[in-house]
Amino acid sequence: MKTRLPDHGPVEAPKFWRTLEERIESPEARQAAHDEFLPGAVPASFDDVHGLPAGSGFSRRDFFGLVGAAAAVAATVACDRKGQGTVVPYTKRPVEVTPGVANYYASATHEGRRVYPVLVKTREGRPIHITGNDEHPGVKGKTSPRTLADVLRLYDPDRLRAPKAGGRTIGWAEAEGQLQSALRSAKSSGKAVLLVSGAVVSPSRKALLADLKAALPTLEHLAYEPAAGDAAEESAKASFGQPVDLQPKLDKAKVILSLGADFLSGEDPEALAAWGAKRKLKHAKEEINRLWALEGPLTLTGTNADQRFPVAPSRLAAVAFALAKDLASKGVSLPAGADLSAISAQSEVPAKAWSNLVKDLQHAGQHAVVLCGAQMPAEAHQAAHLLNAMLGSVAVAARPAEALATVKDLETAAKAMAEGRYAAAIFWDVNPAYTFPKASAWKEAVAKVPFKAWIGQVEDETSAQCQVLFPENHWLESWGDFSTPEAAVLQQPTVGTLYDTRQGEDLLLGAIKAFGATSADDYHAYLKARWQKSLPLATSFEQALHDGLAKGEEKAASPAFKGASVAAAAKSAAAAKAQDLELVLFPGFATHDGRHANNSWLQETPDPISKMTWDNPVAVSVQDAQALGIQEGDLVSLSLDGATLTLPAVIQPGQAKGVLALALGYGRSTGGVAKGVGVNAYPLLGLDPASANVRKGARLARTGARKELSRTQSHHRMEGRDIVRSLTMDEFEHHPQGHHHVPELVSLYEDQKFPDHKWGMVIDLAACTGCSACVVACQSENNVPVVGPEQVARGREMHWIRIDRYYEGELENPKVVHQPMLCQHCDNAPCENVCPVNATNHSPDGLNQMAYNRCVGTRYCANNCPYKVRRFNFLEYTSYKTEPETLAHNPEVTVRPRGVMEKCSFCVQRINDVKIRAKGDGRAILDGEITTACMAGCPSDAIVFGDLKDPKSKVSQLVAASRAYRVLEEVGAKPAITYLADLKNPAGEAIVGGSHAH
Amino acid sequence: MHQFDRAFRFVLPAAAVAVLATVLSVGWFTQPDRFAKGYAPEQPIPFSHELHAGTLRMQCQYCHSGVDKSRHAGIPSVDLCMGCHKVTKVDSPAIKKLAQIADSGAPLPWQRIHTLPDHVFFDHRPHVNAGIACQSCHGEVQTMKVVTREMGMRMGNCLACHRDPHAALPPGSKITKGAENCAACHR
Repeated sequence: MKTRLPDHGPVEAPKFWRTLEERIESPEARQAAHDEFLPGAVPASFDDVHGLPAGSGFSRRDFFGLVGAAAAVAATVACDRKGQGTVVPYTKRPVEVTPGVANYYASATHEGRRVYPVLVKTREGRPIHITGNDEHPGVKGKTSPRTLADVLRLYDPDRLRAPKAGGRTIGWAEAEGQLQSALRSAKSSGKAVLLVSGAVVSPSRKALLADLKAALPTLEHLAYEPAAGDAAEESAKASFGQPVDLQPKLDKAKVILSLGADFLSGEDPEALAAWGAKRKLKHAKEEINRLWALEGPLTLTGTNADQRFPVAPSRLAAVAFALAKDLASKGVSLPAGADLSAISAQSEVPAKAWSNLVKDLQHAGQHAVVLCGAQMPAEAHQAAHLLNAMLGSVAVAARPAEALATVKDLETAAKAMAEGRYAAAIFWDVNPAYTFPKASAWKEAVAKVPFKAWIGQVEDETSAQCQVLFPENHWLESWGDFSTPEAAVLQQPTVGTLYDTRQGEDLLLGAIKAFGATSADDYHAYLKARWQKSLPLATSFEQALHDGLAKGEEKAASPAFKGASVAAAAKSAAAAKAQDLELVLFPGFATHDGRHANNSWLQETPDPISKMTWDNPVAVSVQDAQALGIQEGDLVSLSLDGATLTLPAVIQPGQAKGVLALALGYGRSTGGVAKGVGVNAYPLLGLDPASANVRKGARLARTGARKELSRTQSHHRMEGRDIVRSLTMDEFEHHPQGHHHVPELVSLYEDQKFPDHKWGMVIDLAACTGCSACVVACQSENNVPVVGPEQVARGREMHWIRIDRYYEGELENPKVVHQPMLCQHCDNAPCENVCPVNATNHSPDGLNQMAYNRCVGTRYCANNCPYKVRRFNFLEYTSYKTEPETLAHNPEVTVRPRGVMEKCSFCVQRINDVKIRAKGDGRAILDGEITTACMAGCPSDAIVFGDLKDPKSKVSQLVAASRAYRVLEEVGAKPAITYLADLKNPAGEAIVGGSHAH
Repeated sequence: MHQFDRAFRFVLPAAAVAVLATVLSVGWFTQPDRFAKGYAPEQPIPFSHELHAGTLRMQCQYCHSGVDKSRHAGIPSVDLCMGCHKVTKVDSPAIKKLAQIADSGAPLPWQRIHTLPDHVFFDHRPHVNAGIACQSCHGEVQTMKVVTREMGMRMGNCLACHRDPHAALPPGSKITKGAENCAACHR
């Protein structure tokens, strides 16, 4: 599918569009809209179905011959009534386990400095599903898409299962002996030992590292997080004189300005929930927040902004300082020592919008907040700190944090290694051989260290350079604690170790003891002893573990902003010129810094904006694509500073001119899933921490070759009908239903009868940011198979819920609406009456049910579904899998074989369970008691599920809201899902200040 | 004429026989209780329900304790058996074997007698909580020295009772029907 952009003038275009093909109405897109299945999705021949080479000579007649024989054999086998298998009870049943009943444990994990308190669902002792810990006052039961998917990493078949040395499996005693003797000899010779780990957010781990340092004074520790954004770290040191963790408190924000910040990406469920809570309006008089976004690449936050302007990242600081200057000229006082004389007026934002922005920020005062993206240059961060200090913003909390090493510190360490400074190096859950920009220099440097140990889960680029490999527990098998602003959270194992692994802390404890220092027997005892000292008397350690929370952590004072730091930053910002082309390197949505690259759930979750799966193409702006003659899917060579990558290009509407965007975390050279997926962008990362992720002077050229993109955005198109609605506040007040009127619908069918319940759902598009947590939650709950990049390119992805992303308006800066689309459970479901075997039909509680064992795979239902939400198992995607992968399955949901249709079931297993429990207790089902996986996973609570027959239920009340509409209502299918129109609150409609301001 | 003659003499009767054979064999294969009568495999421990549930009148739930809390009734864990058999009948060879399993922690693989296909999600809870006796589906277990399967456990068995459950329900029960929609059992 080649796409040529229009060469001249505006084109007649549909109001909402999802792809460039749709926008310019290419013939291919038109055809794709007509067909349910993409060309290639439906097998063309028998050979194709069975993966035989084309023209293998296997005919239809041969096929029926074989089928006949197989049927005869099957019938004979079926006659055999022997062998119903065995059933093996526990020999000693753990008291808390009843087979068939799920147990939930509070635990926690972290990604960089961000901590995720979670609740882990286990069945017969194995974790199968993760949600946020609902008792944690910050996250309130929500978590990020990557945390939801991390349960799959526990069952990764690539995990290292026993210690290894020199390629040979050895015992723990021998491996530990080697490490301890290396450390002992380092100590006696007085040579340094290097320990590189991830961020330390755990108080007990911090104490343990201090103990190790005391026992081994030559220890040098670097905490490195390649995705944390070195610029953020550098700027915090400049602005506050110490490393800080900035936590947005958006419940207090009326005006939010994002400088390339992506706080709505789902990574920060707390921020997303707080933002969403102010968007779910019942009527137009309620207070709504306003989000301004100035950014280079289009981020999820930008797509949800009320006003967005493309600004090259290198110019962000200059624009933000100009804002500070204008605010100062309007009477907002500058902090002492802040000198902005170098700053001149900005030209990126149009004058009218600019004055609205200044006005907005000034009126909102302390209820305004400026957030800067971690990857943006350090000066932009300093400008954001300055603006927050000027406004006195209460919507961002600065907390002192443990220092993170930057890429510069790693470079220094590499030099020291090359000079022979270190006697030993330990790499703990980090992968610098992959993430360090100059990989070959790193390799040479590491080779100079006599003893190298690696602690981690899956052998990677770094482990290949180490002598002794220690297999580490997954966090679901580990003890730990983390500090969060609200409370300390505890991590407990939810399953015994699957393999002969230990946690890294236990290894370090062993080393401490080997030096003769007295310490606890294991990390569990160490942790427990620490907490028993610091917990309030009324709380037992067991109670704290049960809750996952240990309250009573002391709060550190917020560090003060240093105004004097501004002058230098302003001067360098003023000097920054946008230069073609600048490359922004950001952590991948699926892979983060590369640690999740082996997780197939994440690899197959479409990127929320580009809808790419299994790849990291370079995103090019519409203007640059036109200038360079680049088309979607062209293989291009991207060179910068002597490094060159060859990778596919995608054209990203809304991306600033002159900006390229590329995700990190792909192009791994190890891992069954990760290997060879995308390209490694780390070689393009800069060595200057202040602007490591924003690089100027990139060159892009076509290679002439093309690559098929595994992209879902063009799949399941819905013919440009009234599908998404987006209202401005003015429209919301006066015409919430717009010009849409629901026609009088006459049905030939008798109305369905719902004696007891009618399950329904409401999805608020104003609160949905498109973060895709629901997609991952559904995948985990419903055993949704992963199909791989080749199958996705053929349109065979299996997700039961997808997020449709619609653009509206100009190519250069479109508005965006995200719409979760799943089975609508129609009363008059068009799929039901075309099924020749009645495999899909209606239940008395309003579900469009799907009996897999009855389905014969005609695919008529999918063809007749106006919402395109039915998924067909073209191939055997799951049932060939073996342990440990199968352990991640939900035992309450069938694993579907090849040849059957499937789709969203409204999590019928959860409905049935609650129904049966309520009946057993002799009571009615409570409103909100049944949660679907997507609803529980949604950070902003945009999805509400409940009983439409109960007039008091939340869902019944929302259905009657003025913004409510049903998709394709004119078809008469009577869907059970109601959408609430998206809201945009562009400036010009005063909501800030006036009577609302405090 | 010759062709018709052959058709009437041979092909038609052969076709009729084939159709009849198909109908009969399909009918036989799909009869609800075809698998039922008499599947009574030898178990690793010769446990007698007749003795425990019949003579000693132990409650079914004492051992199958998951039945009102979980989808599965559950097979008792070995340590539950040992609760009594630490002191009872310790000299019997079967109990010695059991004790050895309990000590070593080795698994005890019982032969499964009642089984359902993977796409069926039968739930014991609503049935037991409605007061339906175990014997309604599992037969008079308390009289069985060796447990024997007495019901085919086909969908026909389920639906027959769901459509007219009064025979299985205790007297006075208000329930008149069981669920008949697909998603009640298949998901």
